[in-house]
Amino acid sequence: MIALHDLVKQYGTFTAVDGITLDVKPGEIHGFLGPNGAGKTTTLRMIAGLLKPTSGRVVVNGHDIATEPELAKASLGFIPDRPFIYEKLTAGEFLRFHGGLYGLEGGGVTGRVTEMLDLFELRRWEHELVESFSHGMKQRLVMCAAFLHRPQAVAVDEPMVGLDPRGARLIKDIFRRMSERGVAILMSTHTLEVAQEMCQRISIILKGKIIAQGTVDDVKRMAGGGDDHLTSVFLKLTGGSALQEIDEIV
Amino acid sequence: MKGAFTYLLLPHFWSSRNRGRRREPGDLTRGLLFGGVALAVFAALFWGAFWLTWQLDDYDELGDYLLRLGLSWLFMTFLAFLTFSGIVTALSTFFLSEDLRLLLAAPVAARRLFYARFARTVVQSSWMVVIFLAPVLMGVGLARCAPISFYLTSVLTVVPFAVIPVAVGTACTLLLVNVFPARRARDLLMLMGLLFAGSLVILLRMMRPEQLMRAESLPDVTGFFATLQSPVTPLLPSFWAGEMLFASLKGGWDLVHTGALWTTAFAFSVVLRAADERWHFAGYSRSQEAPKARFTKLRSLDLIVRVLPWSPVRRQLLVKDLKVFMRDVSQWSQLLLLLALVLIYLYNFRVLDLQHIPYMSGFIKNIYAFVNLGMAGFVLATVAARFVFPAVSAEGPAFWIIRTSPISMHDFLWSKFWTGLVPVLVLTEGLTIAANELLGVDPFLKVVAACAVVFLSFALVGLATGLGARYPRFTAENPSQVAGSYGGVAFMILAVLLIIVIIVLLGWPSTTYLIYKLRRMPIGTGRLTMMAASFLAAAVLSISTWLMGMRSGVRALVAMSD
Repeated sequence: MIALHDLVKQYGTFTAVDGITLDVKPGEIHGFLGPNGAGKTTTLRMIAGLLKPTSGRVVVNGHDIATEPELAKASLGFIPDRPFIYEKLTAGEFLRFHGGLYGLEGGGVTGRVTEMLDLFELRRWEHELVESFSHGMKQRLVMCAAFLHRPQAVAVDEPMVGLDPRGARLIKDIFRRMSERGVAILMSTHTLEVAQEMCQRISIILKGKIIAQGTVDDVKRMAGGGDDHLTSVFLKLTGGSALQEIDEIV
Repeated sequence: MKGAFTYLLLPHFWSSRNRGRRREPGDLTRGLLFGGVALAVFAALFWGAFWLTWQLDDYDELGDYLLRLGLSWLFMTFLAFLTFSGIVTALSTFFLSEDLRLLLAAPVAARRLFYARFARTVVQSSWMVVIFLAPVLMGVGLARCAPISFYLTSVLTVVPFAVIPVAVGTACTLLLVNVFPARRARDLLMLMGLLFAGSLVILLRMMRPEQLMRAESLPDVTGFFATLQSPVTPLLPSFWAGEMLFASLKGGWDLVHTGALWTTAFAFSVVLRAADERWHFAGYSRSQEAPKARFTKLRSLDLIVRVLPWSPVRRQLLVKDLKVFMRDVSQWSQLLLLLALVLIYLYNFRVLDLQHIPYMSGFIKNIYAFVNLGMAGFVLATVAARFVFPAVSAEGPAFWIIRTSPISMHDFLWSKFWTGLVPVLVLTEGLTIAANELLGVDPFLKVVAACAVVFLSFALVGLATGLGARYPRFTAENPSQVAGSYGGVAFMILAVLLIIVIIVLLGWPSTTYLIYKLRRMPIGTGRLTMMAASFLAAAVLSISTWLMGMRSGVRALVAMSD
């Protein structure tokens, strides 16, 4: 459903994404893990059609984003790490506009908007300006918008940031239900517990390259660990930090 | 409807409507203030155009010729302005605008996005020209008793006339962004624009208009017109627009130039659309890549500031403010332009042969010292509004660092004050001393003006800092937005009033002194006391404005923390 073929992105001489190949199948939740600056957001932005790859292909629902951008984007729901929302629109206006961008028309839009606002517990704020929303509320509104057109694939960058435990639980449940209905989800996250709990497969990216890929158990084996927690495996694979120095510094 | 490009403009309309519905405190005052200023400008432009056209009517064919030429030159000026404005606006609307992240991730056809962005670029680039043209064309039309069709033609002229240069500007931006990353291109454009404006002013200066004051050097009329004509002029849309309007003014209809204007606008839009479809995404993608293309370490600044006898907190605030200022091209380049204007102002005094200008000799020349003081005051107020007033707002979303650090709001604001005061004082004091020296005014007036600038600097910088803290706009995208806000305009009005009052308070005793000196009469004790009181009142007014402004600012910041 989301397929990346030898994807490369260079910023001048710096290679941010270095030949990534990845395939997220329908109904799969795929965790995209890596330390800060590893190339996760750059990859997701290329999938969303916001960045032009230096080389390689991005295919969403069978449509190449370079040659059939509109068809590819129509199948995708994208939730960025720093979403843009028109601050002077109300939540309802923003969602109706967003629906229109994806070709949703007629009375069905209003019903769908209400449905999504109910699902993400934002109905009370439908007629409030977005500028008055908290970070968590904005995050939930962006998710409403991303799921409004019933996408077949979802690319999401750090979905849990800024959400309270109730919101985080809600998102996890929604992702699970979507995956059961055949939606492919590629989720970048730093919260390894979330990845361990939700993802069927994970990819660990470091310095633009995928260094480990498979189920959580596969990745644990690759790191040479047995019953290690995913955090320890992640630190082993990505180099971790000089823990011994912390005491001296603090 | 949803397939039309206009759908993409809806959020802007809805946002404006929502903004209009939810009134904020001060909206009425702001509306009245800006509305009043706009009305005054509109009336002045209308009256000026009406009067000039009315006068030209007395010269029959020559008047017609001059009017025709004037219209063409008016549009020629706008052509250059609109092209440059198109370049700058397109950079923002096509490449740097935040909502592109939302629109480009959605399945929106490139062509549809282009039309929406281009429509926005044309409107944003040309609204000022349209607002300027409306009263001018109304004035011309009414003075010549033009038929209704003239006003219709005006609309039919302005629309394609705006599209053509904006399309050219947008094409330049498309090219530029595909060569340089957009953020770097914006800096380059800022600098280019200011250099363009600066060189235009210098060019005008080099034409030496002061020679016009001598009758023997006036150019003859034929030579004058010859310079205004050029073989390229008839090929420009400005000429076509002028011809269209002139024909319409006479009750006719210039189909050739109407056709030329509309077909060119259409052709340019089509070609631009094709280029945009081909290169826009590549340019947008590049614009995401190099937000930190330039970096200036300014290590010497740290070394210089380290020797200042200040607390570490104040030193660090100063270093931070100076580095932010110097790394932002849009900031210091405006200062460069201002300096260029000041130098030209001074150069004027140098080249003017004051002895041969009857009204610039003797006593009147000394009076002119006060005009000069007023000029220095306005420069001071402008610099304070543009650079000092936004100082607190410039902290932006990072203001939490100040609020959570162990620094009092009093220290913070006073640090902003001193940082602003020094350059402002040096600039205006230098300007006043140099101008008075070149004018050759009485030594007494030189001292009065120099002292007045010191007091005015303290008062206006204190007022700007205080009001800037009282009416901050932490979400503003740039300092110009802050300077143009309600607080910024309020500061300018107060500043102008203060300058006028100070000049009156200093003017009366100074002229009295000069009159007595000229008549070689001693000044009586009573009058001397009155004169001293007037000087004292000016000093007290300045000091109280300074201290009250600062106190009000500190209070507002403290209240914000509460």
